[in-house]
Amino acid sequence: MSDFKFPEGKEVPRGAVLPAPVKENRMMITGNWRTDRPVIDHEKCTLCLNCFIYCPDACWHLDEEEEKMVWNADFCKGCLICAVECPAFALTAVNELEFEDGVVRLEKPF
Amino acid sequence: MAKEMFLAGCAASAFGAKFARVEVISSYPIRPYTGVMMELSKIVANGELDAEFVHGEGEHAQVSIAYGASAAGARAYTGSSGVGVAYAMECYSPAAGGRYPIQMIIADRALDPPGDFGSEHTDVMGCRDQGWIMGWAETPQEAFDNTLIYYRIGEDPKIMLPQFCCQDGYFVSHIPGKVVLPEQSQVDEFLPPYDPPDPLDPTNPTSHGPQVYPDQGSAIDIQRAQAHLDVPKVTEQVMDDFSRIFGRTYNPFVEEYMTDDADFVFFIQGAHARTARFAVNHLRKKGVKAGMVKLRFVRPFPTEVVKECLSKFKAVGCVETSTSYGGAMKGGNLIHEVRASLYDSPKQPLVTSFMAGLGGEVVTLNEFYNMAKVLSQAIKDKKIKKYVYWLGFEKEGI
Repeated sequence: MSDFKFPEGKEVPRGAVLPAPVKENRMMITGNWRTDRPVIDHEKCTLCLNCFIYCPDACWHLDEEEEKMVWNADFCKGCLICAVECPAFALTAVNELEFEDGVVRLEKPF
Repeated sequence: MAKEMFLAGCAASAFGAKFARVEVISSYPIRPYTGVMMELSKIVANGELDAEFVHGEGEHAQVSIAYGASAAGARAYTGSSGVGVAYAMECYSPAAGGRYPIQMIIADRALDPPGDFGSEHTDVMGCRDQGWIMGWAETPQEAFDNTLIYYRIGEDPKIMLPQFCCQDGYFVSHIPGKVVLPEQSQVDEFLPPYDPPDPLDPTNPTSHGPQVYPDQGSAIDIQRAQAHLDVPKVTEQVMDDFSRIFGRTYNPFVEEYMTDDADFVFFIQGAHARTARFAVNHLRKKGVKAGMVKLRFVRPFPTEVVKECLSKFKAVGCVETSTSYGGAMKGGNLIHEVRASLYDSPKQPLVTSFMAGLGGEVVTLNEFYNMAKVLSQAIKDKKIKKYVYWLGFEKEGI
């Protein structure tokens, strides 16, 4: 790299080869694509793990200490497959506008 | 001891891959390049080369196999011709952007203007802006040598680029010539094993070809551009090593023939340079001061070398075996590069181009004489009449 100057924050590794994300890719948050989010009722949840199995983005996981399912907002696109597949009807779709931290509220038009 | 064999271009390239100790080969048949893989599969089956031979389900898959193999740290080899080259187009940019030094042997063949399969450079020329190193061989010997030279350039830690190692279909790929095969130890000295900087490894996992934000794309493109800027220096070094180890010398970028006192030259690449040499010999006997300049690399284009070399002459005729429909010069691809290279030069030769050998038509001596006529007339008139002459279709009968 001799002929070009890279401004700060513009550097990329050669060929964009990176250490593999072990858990999740913090470089690419895709949770702001949602219009609805799945909300869990822990009373109804039987920990059958159907949501964990069906989620295409691995947004559900079992917290073994607390014995409850935990939802990862950063990568959930709101496809609601989990809500459809939940046999205990513990998941409901709620519009993002209902939440103070909803992604719709976070997006600034200007 | 080095030994001599009588080999066609395809077999010569296959032997080149064997001597380069390629580790993964992916194939899919399409003429005229098929002979390379036929020969290589025989070599692998006989146990003369320890390589994985994978048959793809198409050209797109074929290049993808080589891509994956190269990411895993193997020296990967693949190839294609004509429409096959076009079919794998999607894979070329990521291979260059990800910096995988794959080598792809191309035996050129025309893209279909319905159903032609002759030799023509249009197939790879269509992919010349993808960041691959690209150049043409004139003889089976050069096809053999280029295989080694291109790997050495492409795998240089500064470069790390994939390479289109091209030869004219049929004219080189199918016509046997004398090839001097070196000792394996000589090749091992010239081309050390591929040392990948970040290979795929389960104990140290890496992401290859990740999704990036749009504003990071330009940074990756600049890396590729920088690598191309570094190629000429590396090439000179590689050619020095080549002539020291093998005792054969190539000018790294252009090869001049009878140019010392030439008035005009044919600027040419690939197999038709052989005919051009004969034509120059005959023209010299008639007292016409003709010469020939053969281009060895199209990407990266040796701008400075071409500028210095061609500004010596009164006229330059680019002999084109590929075309750029509706381009600035209304014709071939070489004339664009030549005229652009000469723009800053204080001495400007007259530059015109000749469409010859499209669709695999043989370029005859007579046609070279016609080109010489046009160029001599241009020197007399001190201007060119047209940017492009389609030989055999001109009203003046040339």
